[in-house]
Amino acid sequence: MSGSDVARPAMVAVRAAHRGTWAICRFSLDRAFTAIAVLPTFVVMLGIFGIPLLFSLYLSFTGWALDQALLGGRFVGLANYEDLLTDPAFVGSLGITFGYTAATVTAQMLLGLVIALLLNIDLPYMRVLRTALVVPMMITPIVGALCWKLLLEPSLGFINYLIGQKIVWLGMPATALLSVWVVSVWQNTPYVALILLAGLRSLPGEPLEAAAIDGAKWRQSFWHITLPLLRPYLLVALLLRVIFEFRAFDNIYALTGGGPANATMVLSMFTYLTSFVRFDFSLGAAASWVMLVISMVTCLFFIVTIRRRDAH
Amino acid sequence: MRRLRAGLVYAALVTLAGLFLFPLLWVLGLSLKTRLQVFADPPLFIWWPTLENYVDVLGRSDFLLAFVNTLVVASSAVTFSLCVGVPAAYAFARFPFTGRSFLFFALLVMRMLPPIAVLVPMYVLFSKLGLATTRLSVVLAYSTFALPLVVWIMRGFFEDLPKELEESAWIDGAGRYRAFVSIVLPLARPGIAAAAILCLQLAWNDFLFAAVLTNNATQTLPVKMMSFSSGDSGVDWGGLTASGMLVILPVIIFSFAAQRYLVAGLSSGAVKG
Repeated sequence: MSGSDVARPAMVAVRAAHRGTWAICRFSLDRAFTAIAVLPTFVVMLGIFGIPLLFSLYLSFTGWALDQALLGGRFVGLANYEDLLTDPAFVGSLGITFGYTAATVTAQMLLGLVIALLLNIDLPYMRVLRTALVVPMMITPIVGALCWKLLLEPSLGFINYLIGQKIVWLGMPATALLSVWVVSVWQNTPYVALILLAGLRSLPGEPLEAAAIDGAKWRQSFWHITLPLLRPYLLVALLLRVIFEFRAFDNIYALTGGGPANATMVLSMFTYLTSFVRFDFSLGAAASWVMLVISMVTCLFFIVTIRRRDAH
Repeated sequence: MRRLRAGLVYAALVTLAGLFLFPLLWVLGLSLKTRLQVFADPPLFIWWPTLENYVDVLGRSDFLLAFVNTLVVASSAVTFSLCVGVPAAYAFARFPFTGRSFLFFALLVMRMLPPIAVLVPMYVLFSKLGLATTRLSVVLAYSTFALPLVVWIMRGFFEDLPKELEESAWIDGAGRYRAFVSIVLPLARPGIAAAAILCLQLAWNDFLFAAVLTNNATQTLPVKMMSFSSGDSGVDWGGLTASGMLVILPVIIFSFAAQRYLVAGLSSGAVKG
């Protein structure tokens, strides 16, 4: 008897056992499929989102400087938040951000609705026009803002040439705000128009046809049929625009940098300057938590509204 | 009456399209002018276009480096988000599990929160970990918007796929993994392509994260472009306009490629296009 003959039964047994465990393994691995599929996303979210936000909450309650150890800050309670709320620049920037968001979103929604209604009319070459109209939204925002900065240039810009004056558009509070508003409307109206156009395309045809047969005027069927049916799309567009205008940064950075005299100092710009120019990370973290809370509340409000409409 | 109406609609849309495109066309014009022509007053409307600004910009090694950086960072962020997010999106679409709606809601919120609020602590953590100014830090920062977008778009896509094919694969003895890799993923290819293009566009367009998290060696194109507006000798009009046009050229190309999915992507899947 050679050694291999003795070993054979043992090998077979081992192999069978191995196959058994493998089957069990595979079964339990299969059961764990969901967990294994979701786990990486969960870990990444925690790493790039959960931990940084918790750390920033910690920062906002401490006096912390970049040369200190990560958790070496001194606990200061609400001092950072008090500093913020007594800082006229911050309080001003809260007001400017709300005003800016309201003004830009209103204009974008109105103009976007008009464009969507026009594009929804069935005529030849509409695709070409739609493509041309969405270009401002697709291009890199900072490049779009830069184009406007060159148009608004006091001595060489096209706009001053057009009106034959030498206005320093970005150098005075009122005109700077106006310019930033125009650029934002230019850049993001297509966004609203596209969402509403998708909404208009998906509306059922019957109610409008029935209204037309009953002799309803365009205006009547628009107010009483199209708008109510479009409501979910209007809400989604409104939510997204409010959320994205509230965080506006690129345009303002490129056009005014928050000036002149803090006239265009939105919250993102304030937080950026506080953290990365003045290197006061604790104050920056406090300002960003104010932003976080405001965006979360806004977001929740809209989601509840949208859900409630869906439920009906 | 009908023709009059059509004429009015065209007139309105063409005017709007003209207004919307004009700023870009004007800067495209500037980028094709010599320095002397840029400073002409009144502005020149007819001139012999020159490519010298483009030749200048493309001949600069720092511009090419920024181009490579953007390409590397944006594509890594998209690949990473796809690898992590696609299986999760599939699980979200197909299998109920505890905490599913909470996790999904958290992803939605993640997309909605202001990036500057994540950036402040991220910068601090990255500098303490020695990651600040590396490309890796930018890739991780881009995942904060790319990952939620991938999961949102892909979940919608998987929900629309018929379930029968996987079910028959399961019955034939293929495990969940085999069925996912050899049945579901090939079917999901168009959705993955759309998600990839939209994320690539967002990553390419980012300015804020890159402006904070990069230095001269790792900066991306939009950051490089802005540096032309604050050089030692004032604004470099030729460099600024030509580099601006070069930055948006790829975006315009891939936006047209993904136009069908634009709406679904923009609204983070809340509205299907």
